[in-house]
Amino acid sequence: MSDQQLSQLVKMVNQIAANQHGDPSTAAQRVTSHLQKFWARSMKAQIIDYLDSDGSQLSPVAREAVADLKRLRQAS
Amino acid sequence: MINYFDPSQHRIDPDRDYGTPPRLSEKAVVLTIDGIEISVPEGTSVLRAAALAGITIPKLCASDNLEAFGSCRLCAVQIEGRRGYPASCTTPVAEGMDVTTQNGKLARLRRNVMELYISDHPLDCLTCPANGDCELQDMAGAVGLREVRYGFEGENHLDAEIDASNPYFSFDPSKCIVCSRCVRACEEVQGTFALTIDGRGFDSKIAAGQNEPFMDSECVSCGACVQACPTSTLMEKSVIDQGVPEHSVVTTCAYCGVGCSFEAQMKGDQLVRMVPYKGGDANHGHSCVKGRFAFGYATHQDRITEPMIRDSIDQPWRPVSWDEAIGFAARRLKETQARYGRESIGGITSSRCTNEETYLVQKLVRAGFGNNNTDTCARVCHSPTGYGLKTTLGESAGTQTFDSVMKADTILVIGANPTDAHPVFGSQMRRRLREGATLIVADPRRIDLLKTPHGGRMLHLPLKPGTNVALINSLAHVVVTEGLEDKAFIETRCETEAYRIWRDFISEARNSPEALEAETGVPAAQIREAARSYASVGNGAIYYGLGVTEHSQGSTMVMGIANLAMATGNLGREGVGVNPLRGQNNVQGSCDMGSFPHELPGYQHVADLDVRQRFESVWQTTLDDEPGLRIPNMFDAAIAGTFKALYVQGEDIAQSDPNTQHVQAALTSLDCLIVQDIFLNETAKYAHVLLPGSTFLEKNGTFTNAERRINRVRKVMAPVAGKEDWEVTQDLANALGYPMNYSHPSEIMDEIALLTPTFTGVSYAKLEEQGSIQWPCNAEHPDGTPTMHELDFPIGKGHFAVTEYVPTEERSNRRFPLLLTTGRILSQYNVGAQTRRTDNSQWHEEDVLEIHPSDAEVRGIAEGDWLGVSSRVGHTVLRCRISDRMQPGVVYTTFHHPGSGANVITTDSSDWATNCPEYKVTAVQVEKVSQPSEWQKRFHHFDRRQRGYLEQGAEEPAPAGQ
Repeated sequence: MSDQQLSQLVKMVNQIAANQHGDPSTAAQRVTSHLQKFWARSMKAQIIDYLDSDGSQLSPVAREAVADLKRLRQAS
Repeated sequence: MINYFDPSQHRIDPDRDYGTPPRLSEKAVVLTIDGIEISVPEGTSVLRAAALAGITIPKLCASDNLEAFGSCRLCAVQIEGRRGYPASCTTPVAEGMDVTTQNGKLARLRRNVMELYISDHPLDCLTCPANGDCELQDMAGAVGLREVRYGFEGENHLDAEIDASNPYFSFDPSKCIVCSRCVRACEEVQGTFALTIDGRGFDSKIAAGQNEPFMDSECVSCGACVQACPTSTLMEKSVIDQGVPEHSVVTTCAYCGVGCSFEAQMKGDQLVRMVPYKGGDANHGHSCVKGRFAFGYATHQDRITEPMIRDSIDQPWRPVSWDEAIGFAARRLKETQARYGRESIGGITSSRCTNEETYLVQKLVRAGFGNNNTDTCARVCHSPTGYGLKTTLGESAGTQTFDSVMKADTILVIGANPTDAHPVFGSQMRRRLREGATLIVADPRRIDLLKTPHGGRMLHLPLKPGTNVALINSLAHVVVTEGLEDKAFIETRCETEAYRIWRDFISEARNSPEALEAETGVPAAQIREAARSYASVGNGAIYYGLGVTEHSQGSTMVMGIANLAMATGNLGREGVGVNPLRGQNNVQGSCDMGSFPHELPGYQHVADLDVRQRFESVWQTTLDDEPGLRIPNMFDAAIAGTFKALYVQGEDIAQSDPNTQHVQAALTSLDCLIVQDIFLNETAKYAHVLLPGSTFLEKNGTFTNAERRINRVRKVMAPVAGKEDWEVTQDLANALGYPMNYSHPSEIMDEIALLTPTFTGVSYAKLEEQGSIQWPCNAEHPDGTPTMHELDFPIGKGHFAVTEYVPTEERSNRRFPLLLTTGRILSQYNVGAQTRRTDNSQWHEEDVLEIHPSDAEVRGIAEGDWLGVSSRVGHTVLRCRISDRMQPGVVYTTFHHPGSGANVITTDSSDWATNCPEYKVTAVQVEKVSQPSEWQKRFHHFDRRQRGYLEQGAEEPAPAGQ
């Protein structure tokens, strides 16, 4: 994974989060389901890795969404 | 009683000219013609009634695509109880009328009329290009003209000069009979009003523009006049050169998403001319300059005629046999997967290829490559349409037929330029505007539709690029707060809770036109007027294009459009609807066919177990349950080193995708790039395997147009390199060890029908029978579905989605004070690979930068100057055109020529939901310069080198036995 690729993914997830309406937890759920539905396996893994290693560039909603995504993927 | 408008009983024969257009009255009138009793709708002409009864009345100035004119008098008839010999074209039928079309008096009258015509007409029939295809000649024969008593010495027009200025047709006024069919075709069919009759009486002549050569006039070269001309006055140069065609095949145009039907008129395997097919349900016999005339690329010397391979892009191409090329490609793909993993390769399907070919490429990726890394060029144009319409209305498609516009009272066009990008539909819209419909255009530019001659009320909302969602929210705010909603529709057809949340949101004062005026730049009063007109004047229909989708909030905007249509009840019947105008011929089809990484054909998600199992049982393989990479993700992964091989069929990502330098970096990172195309396009210059593609003339298949209409593409000539595109994909699959054994595209369609719930009723046999089918076509809708969502939505109730306006990060600032928006023009198509190789380039030889006079003035810029255009990602140089079509602060260019580098400037900013690039908003600076940009210098150097590699390859014959 390159820095460029990661920064692109961070930008994308933050943008998805910024486009959700409603309270933060509903918004985060929507982001999670969006990631589940549209992101490739490798992209999901990369953003989860980023949350684990740093995560500082993620917006609050995006951070919650990626954490949810991680839980969901560990469960399945 | 006979009803001629029940197609199951009386199909109109598209090959017959019924003389005058149909009338749609429900009231029937019974009359007798030559002893035959016939019932026709009130308002029908006697000429048409006779034709419907199978009786042919001679005619010259009449044609069933033009209103009757009554000038030639050849169609005169006798009517019992009426005096004289009325022209049957201008005489409407009446109850109990008794018409005689042939008797001695009428024969003499017609012979006299023809004698006068022929007295001022050259008698060079044997050497005339229209010989054998001339209505004047036919009529002279039909009336039995045997002599011209007036002689030929008198004053005449025989020395009139030919105007050959148009590259595609010539105008020879010496052969003109002043029937004015061309003038009326230009007005009624095309809507341009470029032609007129100059002078009166004997001096009358056809004039283009202000009596100029055709090329200098406002003529758009649609060819409607050429088709209408009953003589050889207006004649295709190809017919003048090659003679009259001897057979014809009905097929579908491969340019824009209108999907016009054409007769490919042939001599052997040579295409002489394309004539729009009257039986075509999308175009009803009309066409544009691209479809009718710009087909010469198919036989252009630049066509790739043999497969080629090379180990690296610094080497000349090596022509090889198909077997060797396919074997080489398969080996490289397998090696890549062995080294970098299953997910390290992918494919891109084409929105220009057929449904069957697209289906096969995504099947190859999913079943043969074993991953879901498939995407299509729709990613960069209409992917937000898929997302937005599926979320709100439940289906990723436009809701109407094109003909539906004829019942619209207010037409709202957002971010689309139909007269340039969808010209035939643009003409139909103009027809409706001339009938009095109101036009509202939301666009940063003043598009030509706003200049419709004889149009009705027109409103332009010149919003700032990037503020679409603010605009649609303010329109919806007016609808909701002024009580213009269709409450009954909302209650019965839409989800209550989602509607309540949306209504609360949209009613907030921050969504009012007054609050958003500063954002959109559109005065609030205009927004209110537009909203009232759309919501309350009869049928409101929305048409939109890439100016909606290609934004950071493209998907939000599509949902906003659907919300507005639902809130006003403008869905589920004719005259209304939400209509995405698709850019390329098969954008709709490529999306339907499962090109997107998360969806199998028919928009069925890969994570759905039931769906996957159905596909797995037919495809005999195991499918990945996770979405694959989208095109921009592929590029990022390529640069990161995890994505190493790509199979691209018929898309030029190196020219059409944004941030060219990023794309180039991605392509050069690949170990194996397989390009299948008809030319050495920009992408192919980075390829290791070049597989010759076939044009639409060289293969069988289907295209699906913007109205979900599946049309047949029929082969009229052999593929130049011996294989149709689907055969190449099949060979590659077999070489990879995934067996495919189709012998004809119809078998592929049968498999599509088996696996796609909206296609279960589609087959080639049914297409032959019906001409075309609009999906869904299944047990519920056996003949297809012209209008969607009539009773309910595929998701049950319509879903109002909250559309919060989030301004794009791509904003103008001190360093980049202008906003660049990109688009298309009429004569060129997309990346221009086809149209640049035709005479269409005479209209648009280069891409220019349009800049407002005030922006030009402060920069000391004059028309024709070289302008350096810089954004945060790149720099290019274009020639200046001063234009006030945009507002100050906005500049515009097209992307039809690769050397222009329009996409060197566009950025990686994209739609939040689909990654559709934000082509329509790039912050730029513009300054006067004296030389090409560094990128352009590199481009030209690289281009020369790669062309050289192709020529070196062509000189070296393929070694025998390989």
